[in-house]
Amino acid sequence: MKNISFLIIILISVYGYSQTSNEYQKKVLENTEVDLISSLYGQKGDNAAVTGGIGSEKLSDIASNIIVSIPLNNNDVFSINTTISAYTSASSSNLNPFDYKTNSFNTSNKNISKNSAENKGGWNANSGASQSITNNPLVNRGPTPWLESTGASRSDIWVNGTFDYSHSSKSRNTIVGGNISASHEFDYYSFGFGGKLAKLFNQKNTEIDLKGNVYLDTWNPRYPTEIHSYIVANEDLNSGFFRGVTIYDQNRLVMDKNSPDAWKPINTTLVTDKKRNSYSASLSFSQIISKKAQLSLFLDVVQQKGWLSNPMQRVYFGDRPNFYIGNASSIDNYTSKSNTDVFQLADDIERLPHTRLKVPFGARFNYFINEKLVLRTYYRYYSDDWGINSHTASIELPFKISDNFTLYPSYRFYTQTAAKYFAPYEQHLSTEKFYTSDYDLSKYNASQIGFGITYTDIFTERKIWKLGLKTIDLKYSNYHRNTGLSAGIVSLGFKFVMN
Amino acid sequence: MKQLFYLCIAVMLLTTLNSCVAVKEYDKIDLNDPDMSLSARSINHFETSFQVYREGASGANGGKSGGGCGCN
Repeated sequence: MKNISFLIIILISVYGYSQTSNEYQKKVLENTEVDLISSLYGQKGDNAAVTGGIGSEKLSDIASNIIVSIPLNNNDVFSINTTISAYTSASSSNLNPFDYKTNSFNTSNKNISKNSAENKGGWNANSGASQSITNNPLVNRGPTPWLESTGASRSDIWVNGTFDYSHSSKSRNTIVGGNISASHEFDYYSFGFGGKLAKLFNQKNTEIDLKGNVYLDTWNPRYPTEIHSYIVANEDLNSGFFRGVTIYDQNRLVMDKNSPDAWKPINTTLVTDKKRNSYSASLSFSQIISKKAQLSLFLDVVQQKGWLSNPMQRVYFGDRPNFYIGNASSIDNYTSKSNTDVFQLADDIERLPHTRLKVPFGARFNYFINEKLVLRTYYRYYSDDWGINSHTASIELPFKISDNFTLYPSYRFYTQTAAKYFAPYEQHLSTEKFYTSDYDLSKYNASQIGFGITYTDIFTERKIWKLGLKTIDLKYSNYHRNTGLSAGIVSLGFKFVMN
Repeated sequence: MKQLFYLCIAVMLLTTLNSCVAVKEYDKIDLNDPDMSLSARSINHFETSFQVYREGASGANGGKSGGGCGCN
């Protein structure tokens, strides 16, 4: 009997030990999660880069993003991230400002085409400068940087897909991962891949992350219509697109197309290298400071090489004569929004260096004030070798109004110096090597006010099929630049957990 | 030079903060609050995208730091 009791004790001990050695380990991700985010974005401004720093920047964009994160086992997670974004842009549309629809011209000139497909500015060689004018833009509609045209570049769809894999060690102190991505829009293709390594130590109070990414991008370049057409017509202003089209000078006189002083772009060599590659390395350090405070520091180094300027964007030089297509009587009014029927021919496309080194450094600090209120802050300093230095600071105050609802007002301030290659419309000189009139590279301040609300149900009681609803997030932000651009964005997000 | 200055501050912080008293797992209840996450909110996904397009600066926010043309 004693022997049997001893044997039972031994077996229980071995069983107990085996239970300890096969200790249940919590999964890195317990269940499949699905994140859906949709947004609606709109902006307006008067400094369109495609039309050389003046013109409508009206843009609207609707986008959706789906991220599906799947636990492969206790330690591995695979995620698929897809985004689709559809936009319409007045600025992009004016890649070809001569493609527009108009129902009627209030004119007796029989040579003006009413068919948008045949429009070449609407005005032919016989139209002259004495076009009659009304105040109705629909009647006087012609090529202009201030209204959206109807060309193919008016809208586009951008699609992106990213596959991400990460593996956590059993101790959960080491995480390695990799990703591969691709995106496409009508004039641009991007392929990327990267890897990451994260190490946690000091009882998971400290984390250091290393990330590296490479993006191998390719242009399918599109050019301003007048420049591209000039090259296609073998630099002959009497053929192709320019045949039968009157060009005016600054004095509203008809330009002699055979004169050596006739309009021509300064450089007929356009994109010579369609590649644009980016190489980025990121280092981040996170530290728990106390039971209520934690901090993160980020440092990125990004090197870009290839065709870094945008071939769609026009530049006008102050030291070259100006030439126009459209209604000559509107030339003196060219930079005014009331100009609805004349367009200035470009001197060149934007030209920028083929390399750019960016070094942003950022920090986050979060503090748990109490059960109701959290303080979230962010700061970033950025510098690059094009001369842009910027500061970004933001603050957010999530406030729990109940167990399920959190409100989070936020404010973000951004300021940057101008790139050394930037100058406004007609202020560049043709002797410069690099030039752009893209106001995204100008000196400005911007402020953004946001307000969001989150609904959280940690028990995922509401279900759609096998998916339990965990959170709903709704946020609106208003963005305003001191250069005049303003924008608004509404985002709506859902997080589901598969039961 | 400025970048070097900021890097020095970062290194100093790294060495200083690492010596803080470690918070035990059972004391991390407040730190584990979703609002305490040391990353941008996922709802800011498209907001960050338009900021990257519209502004000269990008990166150092834990998100994407390259690729794409930002043409529009």
